[in-house]
Amino acid sequence: MAPEQRFDDAIIASELVKTFGPKRALDGFDLRVATGEVHGFLGPNGAGKSTTIRVLLGLIRADEGEVSLLGGDPWRDAVALHRRLAYVPGDVTLWPTLSGGESIDLLGRLRGGLDPRRRADLVERFELDTTVKGRAYSKGNRQKVALVAALAADVELLLMDEPTSGLDPLMEALFQEVVREAAGDGRTVLLSSHILAEVEALAQRVTIIRAGRTVQTGTLAELRSLTRTTVQVGLRDADGARAALAERVHDLRSDDGHLTFDVEATALDEVLAALPAHGVTSLVAHPPTLEDLFLRQYSDELDALQVPER
Amino acid sequence: MTTTPTPTPAPASTRGPTSALTGTGPLLRLALRADRWRIVVWALAVAWLTVVSVQSYDDLFGTPELLASRATLISSPAATAMAGPGYGLDDYTLGALVANELALWVMIPVAIMAVLAVTRHLRQPEEDGRLELVRSAPVGAAAPVVAGLLAAAVGVLAVGATTFVGLLTTDLDPAGSALMCASVVVVALVLAGASAVASQLAGHARAASSLGMAAIGVAFVLRAVGDVRGPQSTSVWTWLSPFGWSQATAPYTENRWWPLAIGLVATTVSVAVAFALAGRRDLGRGLLHERPGRATGRLRGVVGLTWRRQRTSILSWAAAVVLCGALVGLLADAITDFVADQPTFDELFGAGDPTASAFALYSVFLGVLAFAYATTAVGAVHAEEVSGRGATLLALPVQRTRWLGAQVGLAAVAAAVMLLVAGLVMGLTAAASLGDTSRIAPLVGAAAVTIPGVLCVLGVAVLVLGLVPRAFVVVWAYVAYVGVMAMFGDILPDGADAGSPFTYLPALPADPMSWPPVVACTLVALVAVALGLAAFRRRDLQA
Repeated sequence: MAPEQRFDDAIIASELVKTFGPKRALDGFDLRVATGEVHGFLGPNGAGKSTTIRVLLGLIRADEGEVSLLGGDPWRDAVALHRRLAYVPGDVTLWPTLSGGESIDLLGRLRGGLDPRRRADLVERFELDTTVKGRAYSKGNRQKVALVAALAADVELLLMDEPTSGLDPLMEALFQEVVREAAGDGRTVLLSSHILAEVEALAQRVTIIRAGRTVQTGTLAELRSLTRTTVQVGLRDADGARAALAERVHDLRSDDGHLTFDVEATALDEVLAALPAHGVTSLVAHPPTLEDLFLRQYSDELDALQVPER
Repeated sequence: MTTTPTPTPAPASTRGPTSALTGTGPLLRLALRADRWRIVVWALAVAWLTVVSVQSYDDLFGTPELLASRATLISSPAATAMAGPGYGLDDYTLGALVANELALWVMIPVAIMAVLAVTRHLRQPEEDGRLELVRSAPVGAAAPVVAGLLAAAVGVLAVGATTFVGLLTTDLDPAGSALMCASVVVVALVLAGASAVASQLAGHARAASSLGMAAIGVAFVLRAVGDVRGPQSTSVWTWLSPFGWSQATAPYTENRWWPLAIGLVATTVSVAVAFALAGRRDLGRGLLHERPGRATGRLRGVVGLTWRRQRTSILSWAAAVVLCGALVGLLADAITDFVADQPTFDELFGAGDPTASAFALYSVFLGVLAFAYATTAVGAVHAEEVSGRGATLLALPVQRTRWLGAQVGLAAVAAAVMLLVAGLVMGLTAAASLGDTSRIAPLVGAAAVTIPGVLCVLGVAVLVLGLVPRAFVVVWAYVAYVGVMAMFGDILPDGADAGSPFTYLPALPADPMSWPPVVACTLVALVAVALGLAAFRRRDLQA
């Protein structure tokens, strides 16, 4: 990795617009990924994550806006930039007649060689049978082939588009481990996902896209300040609890001895400590889903809480 | 794939009895809905070309004298190999001519359509995972197979019926037309049945359709050999081929319906075999199992990958082209003897050498096969792009022009090499059968001179891929047009063949060599490829 790159942003995209016929897949989208960070890229299906990554790869050209990737133009300098990055698609299609091992080695050679020790290590850890022909792999195993090929390459930037779709929980955990190792080696990772937990486990900073626009970008701590746990609690003294909690929680509603409210992660300890005094009869808590977060983005009353955009 | 019926009683909500055929109706409607435009286009194209050809034959050979001389010409072994068993040559009528010379060329495309339809309905949904979804619904194990075969049959019948209606507008006897269209339908059904068996054997959809296409090729060669060896279906070889059965009906002359029974029995048997085999295999797998691949790869780049992906296709097409060249060459002495026995030929064709004319036509036929291959190769590039594998490679340090250029270059080289080898084999076999080594060079030249024409078609394919990839089917329409014009341009209305490069290339060895059209076609091809590459570099990759 060139030292002058270290303090630059690996990816800067501003005001990107990409239309497919009448559909505006990207509609003024902004993204900044600092060199060396694992950057989470969150959004629901169809929000424009894959379109963004295809623009960053120079496979499609943005209609409007500026993009800089590793200091170059991803459309014009595609080949030179591709030497320095690796890509894992969300839905890997392999050559049906090539074995997984042949595909990995072909992709490695086209990139200019891969580290045989790292390849062997990854194949072993992902428990991948490399002799199986492309058409015979399950979805998860096709994903592993692409992951091994990308992670065994000596590159500065990893572009991953929902890379864990189809992986089982064990492999998902292993994936997080190898991405952490890659980040430890100083690589930059753009990790697109719709699974909040995966991004929380890996990313330092996060950008949220919805309908082709950046709705949120910031550090994970900033994001967490927006994430609230929804709690439903049955109480013998619901009215007393309601008075005690009113200042500490959001969206407080009461219904026949039950209270439902949202609580910030930072206030959780305090709120739970206050409950036993009012006689808890039942308790259900669920963590904020990505969808909750999006809903919040569109809720006027919470505008004041928005983290300022970088 | 067998299902083990559980003895538990059906839930109360289940209406009506369920069987292996449950769900056939909706699946058939779905298949026909997916195929409706395809069927309409095939039906109209086949019917239109058939009617136009009949009318052209009528215009060209309007008098009994002209028909008699045509009969003499077509009874040559080389012409017989490409036409039919020669019923009614003694009293050659328009009907006899159509049955003898045109019917086969209606049967072949309809058979191809049937083979492709069967694999598309029987194997492709398995590969896509669609069938899993369908089978998870209350659908009988046999329903998808039955629905797929019925959809293919409906397509074939639609083509046959449309062609029959079209032929009613001509001077031909309607009873004979009905028999000819029925013969076309039956040969297509036989090959659909063979394709259904292939769909159970092959490991994947592409291999299944290749097996079906190979069956068409084998059936064609068997009847060609048979018709040359024994006129009017007297050779055993003819009776080994479904085309032989359907041509033995002799529409407009003998008007025999019984040979169609053989085809219907063969269809029934092969469909029964397909069902028996279908019960013995797992979903998504063929009966012929695949060996595991190597754990590490040796492929180094795009060219190596393309060769690996295309080699089976290249070698099969090359085998077909070279085999045709050899067949023509081996018939050279028969053609020459035939010409020597027919003094009327000189009067009919003036100074022209009929042997050379025959070789010129066969060389163009080799060219047609070669550009059909080249188009499949460019179509494979399009499939790579749409599948996402193109994006996987282009996300690596691989230039777009190199990725596309390597694949197009390999297709061009493969097409040129297969033509040169076929020309050489045609020359060598002709020299051997005639005992005249001076035949070799002109026949190599005759095959070589079609290369610029093949490259033009390749150029059009690359141009469309670069500019409007979604409209790639247009290329196949152009391929069909050039193929028809190259083979039948003479009998079609003047000017219809203006868009085919073979109209301008010298018909070696009958015509003298002429460089300007060769250079012009090569330049057109190069410009088209260059424009296609440039357009591909500038456009978005398709997802």
